[in-house]
Amino acid sequence: MPRQDMDYVIGLALRYGVIISIALILIGVILFHVKGEALGCSETLIMNPTSPVNTTVIPPMYALSRLPNLDPLSFIILGLMVLIATPVLRVALGIASFAMERDWLYVFITVVVFINLMLAIFVLPSIMHLHANPQLLKLLCPSS
Amino acid sequence: MVLLRTILCCIELLIFSIIAGLLGSLTGLGGGTVLVPLLTLFLGIPIAYAAGASLISTIATSSGAASAYIRDKITNVRIGMGLEIATTTGSIVGSLTAAYIYSHSLAWIVYVVFGIVILTSIIPTAQRGKYEIPDPRRPDRTTKIFKLYGSYYDDALKREVKYWGVRWWLGELIMFFAGFISGLLGIGSGALKVLGMDWAMNLPMKVSTTTSNFMIGVTAATGSALYWYFGYIQPMMAAVTAIGVLIGAMSGTKILVRITNKQVRWVFLAILAFLGMEMLLKGLYMDHVITIAVTTQYLLSVIFTVIVMTILYYRYGILMARKERRTAIRGGGNA
Repeated sequence: MPRQDMDYVIGLALRYGVIISIALILIGVILFHVKGEALGCSETLIMNPTSPVNTTVIPPMYALSRLPNLDPLSFIILGLMVLIATPVLRVALGIASFAMERDWLYVFITVVVFINLMLAIFVLPSIMHLHANPQLLKLLCPSS
Repeated sequence: MVLLRTILCCIELLIFSIIAGLLGSLTGLGGGTVLVPLLTLFLGIPIAYAAGASLISTIATSSGAASAYIRDKITNVRIGMGLEIATTTGSIVGSLTAAYIYSHSLAWIVYVVFGIVILTSIIPTAQRGKYEIPDPRRPDRTTKIFKLYGSYYDDALKREVKYWGVRWWLGELIMFFAGFISGLLGIGSGALKVLGMDWAMNLPMKVSTTTSNFMIGVTAATGSALYWYFGYIQPMMAAVTAIGVLIGAMSGTKILVRITNKQVRWVFLAILAFLGMEMLLKGLYMDHVITIAVTTQYLLSVIFTVIVMTILYYRYGILMARKERRTAIRGGGNA
């Protein structure tokens, strides 16, 4: 019974996606309290409710490259990315699941949902020229 | 000293998130609906950051719960995926609208819409649990084309419930709006999704709620990807909030099993009424439509809450209970 196998796989993917991302986020928060700084930004700057250090000043690739340095924000950014990727993986597995049932109408519907996700994650931001500004990060946190 | 202050700030944020997750899962509205007002009204966090953190935590709770529901076989994956087309499109439009609103410093609009959404979701929440399985409607053309059939085993009724959905197009229309609100306000908008399936498509309550939960994760992922690029996600804040809401939601589902007294729900509804009115007043205050002091706003919200709760309690609490008792005496009605 392919349907049930697939449901099982989807359930597992969702559960482990959340567990892994929350674990990464927790590691990041704990590291932050140990180190008291992240990506060269001071503790007050990062914890301030109106902090300018948001996702537009942190280039994802730069954050991920600092993972070996045990940078707190690198772990948090990776955790948040895994969290957003979990539903995307779920939709991709949905396409496979409907294809196995040869339900082409629903394969098509799920592909459209997947395209919408890709639009939001990759296409629209590049059309609108939205990308992180590393100069701003240098300005805010000179020691980064 | 600095360290102490940041830890205090962190704990404050964590406690508010746990409360939001708890209330969200107990009312069935999801964490975001309570989280955003709590963070903006009481912690002074800018609404764009609160919305970003809320969307992130919505993904966590939805994916966490969905993995359990899929095994229960109550979620209808076909109906959910079909409606996702509309919610993800709506979410993209909503997020872009939010970006326009914030970049033109029109944040008060978000407050007002938020207040209205909370206040209008009170009545369906009060009604919830009145009827579990809808009166069947004749299947229409969309029922057949999109295979909107399903069945599940109902533990309370001790039988297999067969159901089918109708008016797919109307469901899609409401779902687009639900997605739009989700992208605009940074919430899961579960109440609207349930409305779309329960009222428009005539699906049983259990199927609507679990399928809506399954859909929320994908909708929120679409919105938060765009929020990421617009810079509405403050990583540290989103991290603490996601952990808090998840803890709250998980304990909420545990408590829900134990709560047999339905009266407790009224307390949560009162909190919703208060938060909704506060958001509305704050939005109007920010735009200088009204110029009353903040303390007066609190007072007005409290008075409003008391009035609304009295009416609701009379309408859906006492009158309903009386009616139920009457049908029980007559011989159980159709139960």
